[in-house]
Parts: sequence; structure tokens; C-alpha cells
Amino acid sequence: MIQFKNVDLSFNGKKIINNLSFEIKQGEKVVFSGKSGSGKSSVFNLLLGFTDPDSGKIIFKEKHVDEKSVWDVRKDVAYIDQDVSLGDGKVAELFNFVSGLKANALLDFNERKFDELLTYFELEKDIPDKDTGDLSGGERQRLSIVIAILLKRDIFFLDEVTSSLDGHLKQKVVDYFVAEKEWTCLVNSHDSIWLDSPGVKIFDLEEGKWRP
Amino acid sequence: METIDLSVFSLGLTFLLLAVPVILSLVYGLGLIKSLFYSAARMTIQLVLIGIFLKYLFLWNNALINLSWLIVMICVAVFSAVKSSAVKISKIVIPCFFSFSIATFAVIMYLNIVVIPIDNIFDARYLIVLGGMLLGNSLRGNIVGISTFYKNIRNDTKKYLYVLSLGASRYEALLPYIRESINLALKPTLAAMATMGIVALPGMMTGVILGGADPEVAIKYQIMIMVAIVTSTIISVVLTILMTLPACFSRYGVLRQDVFINKNGYQNKRRKAK
Repeated sequence: MIQFKNVDLSFNGKKIINNLSFEIKQGEKVVFSGKSGSGKSSVFNLLLGFTDPDSGKIIFKEKHVDEKSVWDVRKDVAYIDQDVSLGDGKVAELFNFVSGLKANALLDFNERKFDELLTYFELEKDIPDKDTGDLSGGERQRLSIVIAILLKRDIFFLDEVTSSLDGHLKQKVVDYFVAEKEWTCLVNSHDSIWLDSPGVKIFDLEEGKWRP
Repeated sequence: METIDLSVFSLGLTFLLLAVPVILSLVYGLGLIKSLFYSAARMTIQLVLIGIFLKYLFLWNNALINLSWLIVMICVAVFSAVKSSAVKISKIVIPCFFSFSIATFAVIMYLNIVVIPIDNIFDARYLIVLGGMLLGNSLRGNIVGISTFYKNIRNDTKKYLYVLSLGASRYEALLPYIRESINLALKPTLAAMATMGIVALPGMMTGVILGGADPEVAIKYQIMIMVAIVTSTIISVVLTILMTLPACFSRYGVLRQDVFINKNGYQNKRRKAK
């Protein structure tokens, strides 16, 4: 489903990714490990077309990621950044904006599912009335997870999405994504909860290979 | 009603007024004196030269010369607008030239053919004078519009990319920034329009009245020019933004960092645009 073939990426003369190759199949949960600067976020930036590889091929659902196909990639995945910027205004306005995008026009942001997710991720029911600027880092992370799930996509790029959460909430987030067998999840995280979770494959970006 | 001409001596007396900013600059340590005299000297020389030039331009009243002069005015306005933005001149100067030209010509032609109307639509008195007023305002609007648009996206890169990742088209992701830029670009013109006549008698009206025309005629021309200014400003700002997009964004919808004059922006360190 997702393939990197001999991908190189450098920035300002510094090699960030060196001859990276891997393949991820549908339904797999993959955690990219590696120290800071090993190119973990760059993998997502490359897949989303935010960054251009120096060489190599990136394949998403059998298609080479290029300036045409990247727009479809973005409609197929839900991406959550560790420090997601939700802009200004009320949370409800953010929901209206997201559901107002053509790519999400057929989605049903129904209240029942929304309420379920708020309860599960322990967010307050009145969060739609709050200003996004007033949310804590942990609330912002959980809200962006809720939005990502409501998008009803089955491929998730999760970039340090549990970094601001306590152990109990981290576990709930990991459990939620791991339990969904159909979902393909690419995860960047230093959290042992992700790394130790059963059924999760670990790809070492520094070594450029799968951990046994 | 005859206009009282100003003698060279009288005009010289006007410059005595500059003693006030000079004293204030000295008292408050503003450091404005050098730029004040430079600007005053530049203005005087430019206006004297342009006065001589316009005298002949009106005398000849040749369509080709008038049009050529209007194009020169457009070029100067475009360079001033682009130079004041944070974006590299080479990236946006051509789209800006087209946006200014389309906005100015479209509105002037509407005024000259439909509103006034005049036999010689390239008459210097209308083409050059109206063009100057429209371009001056388009220039101000575009300085605000271009800078706001590109700086906001640069400062908001994370949010912009997040919106793209949600599946937004390039237009959907850019729309909030386009809206804000147009609003800010038009604000001064709309504010000036709303207070017109009460707070200030605008330049054109003052000129026409001092020139001996009936205030009633001056007011009618002023209403016409204000509506024209708002229209040409919004057309030029919208066209400038839309026409500069291909040069400033990659086909992946990502803002190119090499379009900015200052390369030390946050995104330069973090991302490399396609």
C-alpha cells in the first residue's frame, strides 16, 4: 500500500534520509523509531508532498506520489501533527471548516459519533464552544485525533500525537488505533506505549530496517 | 473664477512650514531631517519635471504618447508595489504588471466610454489624470495585499499544510488568506470613501475647485473617481494574488520559500518546498 524505494532526502546540504526503502501493507501499524533528526517527520512530509525527495520513488496505493496524485493521497489519509495548528476561533467553526471542504462533503460529522469520541478521549462536551486558543496542548492533540477519526479515512499518519498526554490517555489513544484492524497507521513516537504495543511493527530509521 | 497662481517666491514660502517637522525632529531625536529634505527635494524636482512634461503631453494630446506614458506609470507603480513586498521582484513583477494594466485600463475605458463619455478616449486629461489616481490607490492596496497574503501564509505554514492534509484543494486552503488580504488592502480606501467630504476634501476635488470649476461638478467627478478607485483597487489586488500563485506555489500546493527576499523564515529551516 505504501512503499519507499531508495529514497534520499537532504536539506541545506545535510542528508536527512539515506537510501530509505520499506513497504507497508494495509492494516499494518508501523512505528518509526529513531532519534531526533533521523527523518521521522520527513517520511510524512514526503508522503504528503510537503517535501521533495532528492531521488527514489514513493508509492501510495500503487501510484507514484507526484504533483497530480498527491491531492488524492491527502484525501485518503488523516494526518495529525504533534503540534497541530488549529488556527483561531471556536472549535465548532473549525469543524464547520473541515466539513465544508469538498473532499469531506459526503462525510457525516454526526453528533453521536462525535459524542462517543469526546467521551472516549475524555474531552469536555462543551468543547465546540471553546476557542481553539484556550485549549491545552493535550486537548489540542485529542481534538485533532477526534477530527482525524471523523474524517472516516483508513490510513493515519500520527506524528508524536501522544506527546502531551499522560500515561492513561496515551494508552487509550494507542488502544483505539490498534483495535481498528482495517486501519493502516504510520506512527512517529518515542513513547514506549506505542513501541511495546502488541501487533505493532517497528521500523528503525537510523538503521533503515525493520526491528526483529 | 480665476485660480490665483503661486509665484516661485510664494512657493518658496511654503517650504518654511518644514521648519516645524525639523524642530520636532530635533526635539524628539526623530532623525527625520535628512529623509525629510531628501523627500521634499525629490518631490519638487519630480513635480517640476512632470509639470513640464504634462504641459507638452496635454498640448500634443497624441493617443500613442498618452498610452505610452500610462504604461510607464503602470511600470513605476508595479515596481513600487513589488519592491515594498517581502517577495522577490523577479517572481511577481510580470503578473503584477498584467493585473495593474487590466484593472486600470478596464476602469478607465468604462469611465471614458460609458460614464463621461468623451470622443477621444485616449485624451490626456482623462487618461493620464484618472490613470494616476487609480494607480496610486492600486499601488497602496497591492502593497498591503501582497505583503499580507504571502507573509500570513509563511507565518501560518503549519496550519496551511494541515488544511492541505485534510484534503483541501489549493483554492480552499488559500481562500482564508485571499479574503484577509483583500479586506486589509481595501480598508484604507473604504475608510477614506466613508469619510469623504466630512473629514477631508480629496485631492481631485480640491484640484478641480481650485482650478475654477463649479463645486457641484467637482463633487460629481469625486464620486465617480472614488467608485472607480475602489473597483480598480479590488480588481488589481485579486488579479495580483491569483496571477502570482503559479510562480510562488509549487504544483503540490506548497509555498516556495525561495520567493521571499528574507530567507531566514521559519519554514526554510523546517521544510523544503517542491
